[in-house]
Amino acid sequence: MVDNKQQWKAWLYLSPAIVLLLVFTVWPIFNTVRMSLLENYSGLKAAGGAVFEFGIGNFQKVVEYKRFKECLTNTVLLCVLTVPISTLLALLIAVTLNSIKPLQKLLQTIFFLPYVTNSIAIGMVFAAMFNIIGLRPDGVTADTWGIINNVIQFFGGKPVNWVNQGSQYWANMTVMVVYIVWNALPFKILVLLGGLQSINKQYYDAAKVDGTSRKRVFTRITVPLLSPMLAYVIITGFIGGFKEYSSIVGIFGETMGPPDAAGRLNTMVGFIYDALSTNSQGRASAAALILFAIILAVTLFNNMVIKKHTHY
Amino acid sequence: MDNNVMHAKDLQQTSFNQKIIKFGVKFLAYLFLCTMALIVLFPFYWMIISSLKSLAEYRLNVPTFWPKKIIWYNYVEAFNAANLGKLFVNTMIVGVASTLLSLVITVLSAFAFARLEFKGRDTMFTLLLATMMIPGELFTITNYTTVTQLNWMNTYTVLIVPFLVSVFYIFLLRQNFLQIPNELYLAAKVDGTSDLKYLWKVMVPLALPTLISITILKMMGAWNSYMWPRLVANDEAHRLITNGLRNAFTTTTGDVNYPVQMAAVALVSAPLFLVFIFLRKYIMAGVSRSGIKG
Amino acid sequence: MKRILALLLLVVMVIGLAACGGTKTPTGTTNAGTVNFTVPEGGYDGSAVEIKFYHTMGANLREVLDAYIVEFNKLYPNITIISEQVGGYDDVRDQISTEIPAGNQPNIAYCYPDHVALYNLAGAVTTLDGLIDSTIEITRADGTTETLGLTAEQKADFIEGYYNEGKEFGDGLMYTMPLSKSTEVLYYNKTFFDANNLTVPTTWDELEALCAQIKTIDPSCIPLGYDSEANWFITMCEQYGSDYTSASDDHFLFDNEQNHAFVKKFNEWYNKGYLTTQILYGAYTSGLFTAQTGTKSYMSIGSSAGATHQRPDMVDGVYPFEVGIATIPQVDANNKKVISQGPSLCIFQKENPQEVIASWLFVKFLTTNVAFQAEFGMASGYVPVLKSVGENPVYKEYLGSADGGAYIAALSAKICLEQESAYYTSPAFNGSSTARDQVGALMAKCLTLTGDVDSQIAAAFQDAIDECEYHS
Repeated sequence: MVDNKQQWKAWLYLSPAIVLLLVFTVWPIFNTVRMSLLENYSGLKAAGGAVFEFGIGNFQKVVEYKRFKECLTNTVLLCVLTVPISTLLALLIAVTLNSIKPLQKLLQTIFFLPYVTNSIAIGMVFAAMFNIIGLRPDGVTADTWGIINNVIQFFGGKPVNWVNQGSQYWANMTVMVVYIVWNALPFKILVLLGGLQSINKQYYDAAKVDGTSRKRVFTRITVPLLSPMLAYVIITGFIGGFKEYSSIVGIFGETMGPPDAAGRLNTMVGFIYDALSTNSQGRASAAALILFAIILAVTLFNNMVIKKHTHY
Repeated sequence: MDNNVMHAKDLQQTSFNQKIIKFGVKFLAYLFLCTMALIVLFPFYWMIISSLKSLAEYRLNVPTFWPKKIIWYNYVEAFNAANLGKLFVNTMIVGVASTLLSLVITVLSAFAFARLEFKGRDTMFTLLLATMMIPGELFTITNYTTVTQLNWMNTYTVLIVPFLVSVFYIFLLRQNFLQIPNELYLAAKVDGTSDLKYLWKVMVPLALPTLISITILKMMGAWNSYMWPRLVANDEAHRLITNGLRNAFTTTTGDVNYPVQMAAVALVSAPLFLVFIFLRKYIMAGVSRSGIKG
Repeated sequence: MKRILALLLLVVMVIGLAACGGTKTPTGTTNAGTVNFTVPEGGYDGSAVEIKFYHTMGANLREVLDAYIVEFNKLYPNITIISEQVGGYDDVRDQISTEIPAGNQPNIAYCYPDHVALYNLAGAVTTLDGLIDSTIEITRADGTTETLGLTAEQKADFIEGYYNEGKEFGDGLMYTMPLSKSTEVLYYNKTFFDANNLTVPTTWDELEALCAQIKTIDPSCIPLGYDSEANWFITMCEQYGSDYTSASDDHFLFDNEQNHAFVKKFNEWYNKGYLTTQILYGAYTSGLFTAQTGTKSYMSIGSSAGATHQRPDMVDGVYPFEVGIATIPQVDANNKKVISQGPSLCIFQKENPQEVIASWLFVKFLTTNVAFQAEFGMASGYVPVLKSVGENPVYKEYLGSADGGAYIAALSAKICLEQESAYYTSPAFNGSSTARDQVGALMAKCLTLTGDVDSQIAAAFQDAIDECEYHS
């Protein structure tokens, strides 16, 4: 039974957040819905005195776009690939980091460093690492193969065309996955490490006394107790993954794909940006709401799965 | 006798094996961490060396791993490009104020979601999560109109207030609060401790690593925010550091002068890095001591 | 389950509310297309106004600007110019298109034609025709007078192609004034050309023969690097006289036989190893041009404002080779066409007509002042927009110093001024930048095709048209 006093208190505690959210989040969302339902709405046209008919044409246009399915596939694929990989890797690093004594401070600082590194810098490094310069039409001559291909060649492999003209879809995707995972690591490590530090040491002490094996400690104590934080990084990872856009621009530029397949890697948010660049807020809003519906469904699903497996 | 000796030997063997395994595990752990560290460190390294290159060298076809000629002047240029002192003060004011206020709001909300029972709690929370899913750019236009009507243009308020509530942080902290055993709360209730006192004395210290992470993230947000401040407070008196430094980035032909940009980014990142070094020991300070005792 | 229902309910509610908020009248026409500013009687009345000016100038250009703001204020002490650097060109565009709906737009801004087309959706840019034609005499603070509009001499002094850019919006009205311009030029390795007795190509046919010749001298080289695929495509349309885009109704016209043909021709050249572009090479082609080791190019087509990037690094205090600069190859050497780029200035609508007139006075001051144009040109590497700047003693001396090494920027400016009659600009409309992006990608894609090139080219064109039409 929920007592009234707690009800009242809860809303009081939430009030500052609610007021601010109403003004700066809920109202804009409401406005987004409004814009999406006005045919071909454009903020600038509206400022010029144009009026717009009410209708669902914006939604139709988005869904009818011939690359819509491609954008959706790319978005989903990137999410499904990057979230598990980055979460597992971050978990492994955080747990290992938490288990060592010497060098812990230094390594922890290093893992945080990319977080204060500008994303522009990271994007440029990646582009340079995978980029082949001066690839000839014959496909076997080039001026610079890039560091990654140099490493592959060093181990006797054949260089791969990662991002340049003539590259394959899977190669493009591989680069994106590596880049996004790399980008996501520092934040996830920080959160998981914070979570690990909050786990009461007594659990571990008890396990030690009982002589529990390392593996068992990990699966029976660490992961369950860390599950709220894991849930956090997974859910926010998915939300972030669905909003993937700037990382693709970072590697492929505004063409969103290799030169001979422009737009091949475009995502839902990339699609929204395209609409915004011609001031078509109506269409951008419709695309955003469609994306919103998709993420909402995934998050609800995630929540259901996680609820089953999370130890609170 | 013989039996006994054999047994002792066995024991010795086992402990030796264990030592080997332990050493092996440690070795693997370090190898793994160091490899990952090197990989993670690479962009940072790249940022630093890029910031010391000339634009001509930066544009070379074959990227150099060490500047042929170190151009410290890039830093001078980035530094001179703007009134750095004033920019720094502005950023500090906005960063500290928004971090403190944001922490208060986040702690209260996360507590309500994690510990209090109220009608519609889960629905509210899901709705809150849902708001994270709309790309922020769509909000900009509406929010811009709102702050114009509130007459907040070119004030510190407009830089601080609109982004005080972060669903990300509420979510993060709620998850951390959920890790804290509910028994503590129930015990405190039995003792007649007030919610706020319990929050302050028990929850906050226990969630300190997360709170510090949030502090760092929020400070960094103020440090790196670009689009919104440029729109709403780009006057001399309120301009923030990233906006000020961006002015150094474009060359006369409209190209981005990347080395100078990198230098500027490095300059801007340095204080953050120092803050992190300073706060790290609090993140790492084992909170086990303040757990349940006895 | 309950939660999902609650959410659905909320969504339905919000949509319902939104429906009430929406107006149901048919779409109105935009304000562009009619003269939207008439000069009030008396012109500038001397009242105190603040003029906000958004630009992208770096520190060295701001110095020049500030010096001339002081000069301007000697004539008009009551007009306060507040100049603000707003990041790069795209930043200026994004900021202003957010500000217009709230009525906070600046008075003057750096602009590209497609930005103006965007602002025109709101009818926010002042048409300049009324101001240009005005014959009202205005007395300045130093006692002298000037005509509010442009005199016949002033009009004639503008390089025609630059001036006409302001009228490329499909309605024949003037929306922008040119501030400083750049174009594409052909950089060539003069040392190499002289040593091998090569002639600088003036037409594409000559270029083809020359590439073949260079390939026999240095088989591993790529003779030509072209930096901008989009500029290349658009310039070829202009040189052939074929359709690219139009500012009126049917915007995207570039899918035609002539354009298929030149793309196919360049595809053959690419596959013979004659040329490359920035996207295809994977790096600035200037890097290839200035390279001292490995693969080289001997010609490079790039921005005239980036001349210093096309100069090789000094080795032991000397430049390893001398750079020559020429007009880019043409279809018809007697009817030259080169693209015009670089910032113009536009003036925004304001409630107070005095602000608009004051803005115009400042814009006119910057664009017609020979000394400013000369100094700004030298500081920026851009080309002045006035013919008479060539007669300015300081600028004359600058042009006189032109060479293929230390004073390469002056050499580039000199070539640009010599081809003054060749400048063109493409039509501007909301979506013109999409067309530009699409044809750039199209060009890069088509160059690399092999096999049944014709049908692939046709498909690629259709694809680009579809994208343009979808996004407009």
